[in-house]
Amino acid sequence: MKKLALSDDILMQIDKPARYIGNEFNSVIKNPADVDIRFAMCFPDVYEVGMSHLGIAILYDMLNRRDDTYCERVYSPWPDLHKIMKDRNIPLFALESQDAIKDFDFIGMTLQYEMCYTNILQILDLAGLSFLSKDRKDGDPIVIVGGPCATNPEPIADFVDIVYVGEGETSYNSLLDLYKECKAKGLDRMAFLRKACQIPGIYVPAFYEAKYNEDGTIKSFGPIYEDVPAKIVRQVVINMDESPYPTKMLIPFVRAIQDRVVLEIQRGCIRGCRFCQAGMIYRPNREKSVEVLKNQAKELLASTGHEEISLSSLSSSDYHALGELMDFLINDCLSEGVNVSLPSLRIDAFSLDVMSKVQDVRKSSITFAPEAGSQRMRDVINKGLTVEDIIGGAHMAFEGGWNKVKLYFMLGLPTETDEDMQEIPRLANEIAKEYYATVPKDQRQGKCQITISTSFFVPKPFTPFQWAPMYEAGEYLRRAKVVNDEMKAQLNAKSLKYNWHHSDVTVLEGVFARGDRRLAPAILDAYLSGCYFDAWGDFFDFDKWLAAFEKNNISIDFYAYRQRDLDEIFPWDFIDCHVTKDFLKREWNNAMAGSVTKNCKMACNACGCLDLNTGVCHAR
Amino acid sequence: MRVRIRFEKLGVMRYVGHLDLMRFFQKAVKRSGLPIKYSEGFNPHQIMSFASPLGVGLTSEGEYMDIDIKEDVNSKEAIKALNDNMVEGLDIKTFKYLPDNAEKAMTAVTAASYIVTYKNPKDDICYIDNLLDLKQKFFDEAYAINIIKKTKKGERELDLKPLIYRFDLSFKDNVPVYDFLLSSGSSDNIKPELVVKAFHEYLGLPEFDDLSLDIKRIDMFTGESDAFISLGDIGDDH
Ligand code: SF4
Ligand code: SF4
Repeated sequence: MKKLALSDDILMQIDKPARYIGNEFNSVIKNPADVDIRFAMCFPDVYEVGMSHLGIAILYDMLNRRDDTYCERVYSPWPDLHKIMKDRNIPLFALESQDAIKDFDFIGMTLQYEMCYTNILQILDLAGLSFLSKDRKDGDPIVIVGGPCATNPEPIADFVDIVYVGEGETSYNSLLDLYKECKAKGLDRMAFLRKACQIPGIYVPAFYEAKYNEDGTIKSFGPIYEDVPAKIVRQVVINMDESPYPTKMLIPFVRAIQDRVVLEIQRGCIRGCRFCQAGMIYRPNREKSVEVLKNQAKELLASTGHEEISLSSLSSSDYHALGELMDFLINDCLSEGVNVSLPSLRIDAFSLDVMSKVQDVRKSSITFAPEAGSQRMRDVINKGLTVEDIIGGAHMAFEGGWNKVKLYFMLGLPTETDEDMQEIPRLANEIAKEYYATVPKDQRQGKCQITISTSFFVPKPFTPFQWAPMYEAGEYLRRAKVVNDEMKAQLNAKSLKYNWHHSDVTVLEGVFARGDRRLAPAILDAYLSGCYFDAWGDFFDFDKWLAAFEKNNISIDFYAYRQRDLDEIFPWDFIDCHVTKDFLKREWNNAMAGSVTKNCKMACNACGCLDLNTGVCHAR
Repeated sequence: MRVRIRFEKLGVMRYVGHLDLMRFFQKAVKRSGLPIKYSEGFNPHQIMSFASPLGVGLTSEGEYMDIDIKEDVNSKEAIKALNDNMVEGLDIKTFKYLPDNAEKAMTAVTAASYIVTYKNPKDDICYIDNLLDLKQKFFDEAYAINIIKKTKKGERELDLKPLIYRFDLSFKDNVPVYDFLLSSGSSDNIKPELVVKAFHEYLGLPEFDDLSLDIKRIDMFTGESDAFISLGDIGDDH
């Protein structure tokens, strides 16, 4: 029988033991004795979430294509197992070999959201490693992180040895080649890191130093050695068609959140909504060719046996050959018993036609994400969706038999007034009105259901709103109440429903998103006081966080609520995301003037990506 | 055409629950390329059903699943195609075409056989020396074995004796090994834990823990107690 790190008595007392046994179909088995590099690839959240992540699947496949490397997976043990591992001193292990990861060469973790920072510490803790990079010794694994939050890695800089800035497909091979060479020569950890920081996109926090002004803002930030690069350039895949993509994907036993083939059709977005970090950092928009996608879809369906396929991208409606791709999915996949689950598409005649072919109209809903209720506010955030688009789209959908509509908005956007907020339920009311005007009484299946959801705006680095203040938790709730009160006053209030998020966790997200190195001790204290799985409402304990902030003199006001000066040096300024600070400033000023910027397909706004000579900039 | 597939679930696969196993098989059948039939409608699903689910922690040499297929496939080739898509611990044993009147695996089961032993070789029971005699008195010589069975609706009294078709006891390295044939299926489903628990109570042993047992299902049967037939003996190879 396959070796297991956990004993039967443990596996039988924890929830979902199949999370920890490995053995999934398509998992890679190698003999550790045959490789030079052992790599633990970790998604610091529970198995079902981590197993759904496409980026990890791509890297797992890519690293295992190397004969000299064995890449295995690790996820965060759920609190029930966490406790047992702590009590019994069981070291964290990789799923494939079940070997302890403290003996590996690398531990790689992806930072998908700020609220996973304590889970990084949990991984280090359970692995049996020191929390701080400076306390780890030769022979300990190199801890490397990547992912969207790596665009401002400063809050966790002290915990990691390397930050990989950019898309993983580009620099990992050079990094591993270098590691192997250094290992063969017997070079120590520091010598390896010193060489590694010369590889594009590789940031070694230990080689940089920040100095601060009296008001707490950054005075200077830069390398402490002359040969260490002052700027880290975000790595970008130039040719999406030729970039490695797995032909097989792992089939988890425990149902993953994404229990389907996920096909990435493009990276980046042409639209440039001003609050959206993904829309900025993944620039330029790069599409895959439809032929490549058809082959990948076929191959993945055959190798996984999944009965569902979905498309992944930031804005699928903008994909150039969506019609052809959809025809292919409907004709070639649907007939084979494969369900096609659609990404949220812009609602128009085309998308409604496609939707009616792949889903049960009566049970499904249509989705709009206007993000703001008033046209004024939508101009500020550069969301090019008009009332006419929405009402027109809804009208067509109601004619097609739909009666459920979901609407997504943000509250707390820069310059937002009560009037802007009140426009949210008014818009929903207009949609309901459209339903009753469109569908005759005898054809209605009861009332229509218009669901409004709001989340709270969090300013993110590398967006035009990176200078904006955010609001205190109480103010967010007041705003939600403004929406709720106005909704009750609507004529069609009975057809409307309103959901909003809790706000404490949003504030914390705001602190981390634009945080700096001084936050690390507070994150560590929070973890030591019992915070982890903060992204899970059940485990989130705001009071513990407040105590950790207080102990370390961290002012939430400074990190989250304050309006930043246009020339302030930001903790993430040393990273070059291609999009320039000048462009972001220009966009901030455009936002304040309420003026709209055209998307990349309509006009180039010289955001800074032209030099990459790829994707939409190149196509124009 | 309905086909019955017999498979083993051993080793680490014991930690994979029934629903997860079903999902695994849907994908495995799809990968294997077998011409399985789908239901109609917006969310077509494979026509596939399993005989009595196996609890997490148990292993089995005799699990069954029925599927409907659209065209005839050679049994040997089908077994190979499926086994190419299994993981360690799952092994396809037979692939038999069922006669038209065959009852579905799910409802056909009337009995199941098990080999049960103790995970801990120092379990209290290993220190009782006249265990064979005691078992003789508890089971073979008893007219009735009355227990209280907890159900969803509350508790009810139940006589186990007529529901236990075989209760043999042997020893391996001093640890008791039970060989059971028990009533199974929808009406009187007797789990081996229940029988061992009753035996422990008879022996006056302290608090019994289900998790102390290592349980392996050996096979499932249909028919009446005088002529049980293994679910795997129904139908033919093609
Ligand atoms: S459409 Fe706007 S919000 Fe959506 S990904 Fe693109 S930039 Fe971001
Ligand atoms: S350089 Fe121009 S086209 Fe390219 S991403 Fe920037 S704004 Fe868009």
